[in-house]
Amino acid sequence: MTELVQTLVLGLLVGGIYALAASGLTLIFGVMRVINIAHGAFLILGAFIAYTVWNQLGLDPLVGVLITTPIVFGLGWLIYRLLVRPIRHAPMSSTVLLTFGLALVTEGVMGLVWGNNSTAIRPSYVDQSFHPGDIFLPKAQVYGGLLAVVVLLALWLILTKTWLGRAIRAAAANPASAELVGIKVTSVSAVVFGLGVAAAGAGGAITGVLYPFVPGSHYVWIARLLAIVVLGGLGSLEGAVLSALVFGVAETVTAVYFSPAWATAVPYAIVFAVLLIRPQGLMGTRLRDDAVAA
Amino acid sequence: MSTVTAESAPDGHSAFDLIWVGRAIALVAGVLLVLYPILSDNLYYQNMIILSLVFAIAASGLSIITGLAGYVSLGQGAFIGLGGYTVGVLATRHPDTNVWVWMPIAGLVAGAVALVLGFVALRARGPSFVIITVAFLFLVQVIAINWRSLSGGTEGLSLPIPTWDFDYANWPFYYGLVGILALQLLLSWWVRRTKLGTGLVAIREDETKAATVGINLPVEKIIAFVASSVLVGVAGGVYGYYLTFIDPRGMFNILLSVETMLALLVGGKATLWGPVLGAFIVEPLNEYANNDLGGGNTRLLLFGGLLVVIVLFLPQGVLPAIESLLNWVRTRGKAGLVGARIGTGGSLTALTDRLSLVDREVAHDPLPLLEVKDLRKAFGGLTAVDGASLVVPEGSITGLIGPNGSGKTTLFNLIDNTIHADSGEIWLAGERIDRLSSWARVHRGVGRTFQITRLFHEMTVLENVVASQRSFSWGQLGRIAVSGAEARAAEDILEYVGMRAFRDQKAKALSFGQQKLVELAQVLMLDPNLILLDEPAGGINPVLIDRMSEMIRELNSYGKTFLIVEHNMPFVLGLCDPVHVLARGRTMASGTATEIQKDPAVLDAYLGDDFVLEAADAAQTPEARNA
Repeated sequence: MTELVQTLVLGLLVGGIYALAASGLTLIFGVMRVINIAHGAFLILGAFIAYTVWNQLGLDPLVGVLITTPIVFGLGWLIYRLLVRPIRHAPMSSTVLLTFGLALVTEGVMGLVWGNNSTAIRPSYVDQSFHPGDIFLPKAQVYGGLLAVVVLLALWLILTKTWLGRAIRAAAANPASAELVGIKVTSVSAVVFGLGVAAAGAGGAITGVLYPFVPGSHYVWIARLLAIVVLGGLGSLEGAVLSALVFGVAETVTAVYFSPAWATAVPYAIVFAVLLIRPQGLMGTRLRDDAVAA
Repeated sequence: MSTVTAESAPDGHSAFDLIWVGRAIALVAGVLLVLYPILSDNLYYQNMIILSLVFAIAASGLSIITGLAGYVSLGQGAFIGLGGYTVGVLATRHPDTNVWVWMPIAGLVAGAVALVLGFVALRARGPSFVIITVAFLFLVQVIAINWRSLSGGTEGLSLPIPTWDFDYANWPFYYGLVGILALQLLLSWWVRRTKLGTGLVAIREDETKAATVGINLPVEKIIAFVASSVLVGVAGGVYGYYLTFIDPRGMFNILLSVETMLALLVGGKATLWGPVLGAFIVEPLNEYANNDLGGGNTRLLLFGGLLVVIVLFLPQGVLPAIESLLNWVRTRGKAGLVGARIGTGGSLTALTDRLSLVDREVAHDPLPLLEVKDLRKAFGGLTAVDGASLVVPEGSITGLIGPNGSGKTTLFNLIDNTIHADSGEIWLAGERIDRLSSWARVHRGVGRTFQITRLFHEMTVLENVVASQRSFSWGQLGRIAVSGAEARAAEDILEYVGMRAFRDQKAKALSFGQQKLVELAQVLMLDPNLILLDEPAGGINPVLIDRMSEMIRELNSYGKTFLIVEHNMPFVLGLCDPVHVLARGRTMASGTATEIQKDPAVLDAYLGDDFVLEAADAAQTPEARNA
């Protein structure tokens, strides 16, 4: 029983981090119909930047999120402006291939800058843990999970409480009409791309404290994140958060009760199962536009 | 076509010479490729060609599902891996059997896996497919790593060392792959020229529309996916045997998929030879990056950078770029045909052997051809169609009017299953059809046009019309895309709607009104009993409106039943009987045109209190309007 509670709590904490990273991916898709395959690479980039901030400046890596996130935001903004914007009207497959190319380039650059050996961020509390009752919760997991929830909340506040958030939601719902009422959709898209990528970067800074990483780790991450957003329904933020929590728990339970090796197979198995039953994902809805838009 | 070439003879010569130069180069390259191991025993280049051949086969396979059908797959490398592992597992279990025996089995395994995966992945549309292919690749990799008893886990499998003379060590692999490539090219070529190929291109252009012209989406997509993978599995088997050692990290490396995709994109994704050319460009680059630039990260930068550059600057690929350059040289200074006048239209009697037309007697009490009962559809909180019921009597021209947003188009979409209804029943000629797919409804005799025309933009007018498939059969998929009889039928129908002069124009070059006529021709090609027209008079000029209503009357007099959504009141009230009025997703009134015009509820909800139709028949005769 104790073990189960502990597994569930850890699963939810991990799920919170997944939710943060996946929210950026689904947000970008929702606003500009771009599946950002480079999302996992930006997550790992966030981890490497956090590593450097911790290593060089001696800052706590979780506090370092304050530095990591703006850097990754700027990078995302720039990438949208330079590379994604020119092909924003091209078929979705073009942006898939473009961002896939970006992922490979980012992986190569990270390999050249930080090397291909396993890197770990190890702040002082990394081996400590909390013991409420009989359960055992590593401090890094708890801090990381909570920080992810805080950043996610901040993102949610931006989307729901600010003018920018309204503009983003308008652009997502109907770009042409948003233009008509004075929203500059390409500017909004650039900010959204930056925000989405920054969410991945923040998630990367947090996971960097929890698990060691190499440049090639981004494949596992993008597969997991894509699985999460497909499960939640592409473009749905609530769906992504919900399914991220499901994933966190499912992976942790598999790792504890079955085998850690098979835990990596869980996301893919879930995706196949869900798409067999509900091709539109958990929270995805089909709209009137789906049939009318040419 | 022939006249165009004749006219362009002076400056066309150079272009045609260039084409022949291109063909000569291809021929010489092909001959050199076949002779190379005989001419040279340079193992470095033999190895490079063998790897290029593997990617050429994989990319040519990919050109079917990605190039023709437009579904991007990043899991193509998985079929190479599956083929390799099938041969690896079987060869290590049966060391006394000749390894080559297992190659066909590798193809069968790849094909069977593609069938199952396609069934899951291709039921959904669009973006989830690419995600699933990536997930699939990682899943088989995880399985290969963890199912140690079968695959040997991360340590991999060592295949038997080839037993033949070392001097000819590479020959069987080399010529084996050349043979598989020839088969793959034959398959890709065959798919392109059949009904299946046209259907796939239609799916790429507009999948929803494809379903409404009778194309069986899942069957065509799944066949395409299987055709993309079977021979790739065989090639993967040969590749595995060639390497003599396979492990999960190598065989299911996503970079195999990336390199395949790159080969396809560089060469030209919708071309026959492009993938081969692409593979012979990309693989040598890969070898160069590996051997001379340090491999690893440099190779990633090369692949990634190349992907970005191709997508941004050469989205069509090398071969189509050369082709459009030649086209430009050839047609420079020629006027387009798009501005030609729309024909006055042919006679319907010329179509009697094309369509099932009957000179019908008006029955006094006609049977309902279409019956919609209590149909409902909600989009989130908005109920667009809320219990609509209506009857379209056989042989009638039934009108459907109502305010904007009253659910008329949604009702159309429900009738042909472009959108699936939440509840309610749809009956066609006594058969309940609301559980049937769009194409099955088409095959039972429902044809529809769209309010905003949806043609296959990259196809010519003629191709658009022959893309319609009246029925489905497995044998038909393999038939040649446009038979002579079909082309003649399509031309006659185009003549009837007045668009024959435009038959070789791309649909995207046409005006809105012209597109409406082509869409009508497309529907007529299906020879439906019931024709649904969504705003046939919307956005077109008065002369064309008259022609439209003339055609509707004429087709109707030969037995075709119509259901028409329209806002042009003179048009509807002059043409239609009965008329149904839709408001808030519900049928609020039904009756003859005269009854509807006087119905106080209809005047209140839609027409307005001051509605006076000046002359119901003004719409039919231009003279009346001019008077």
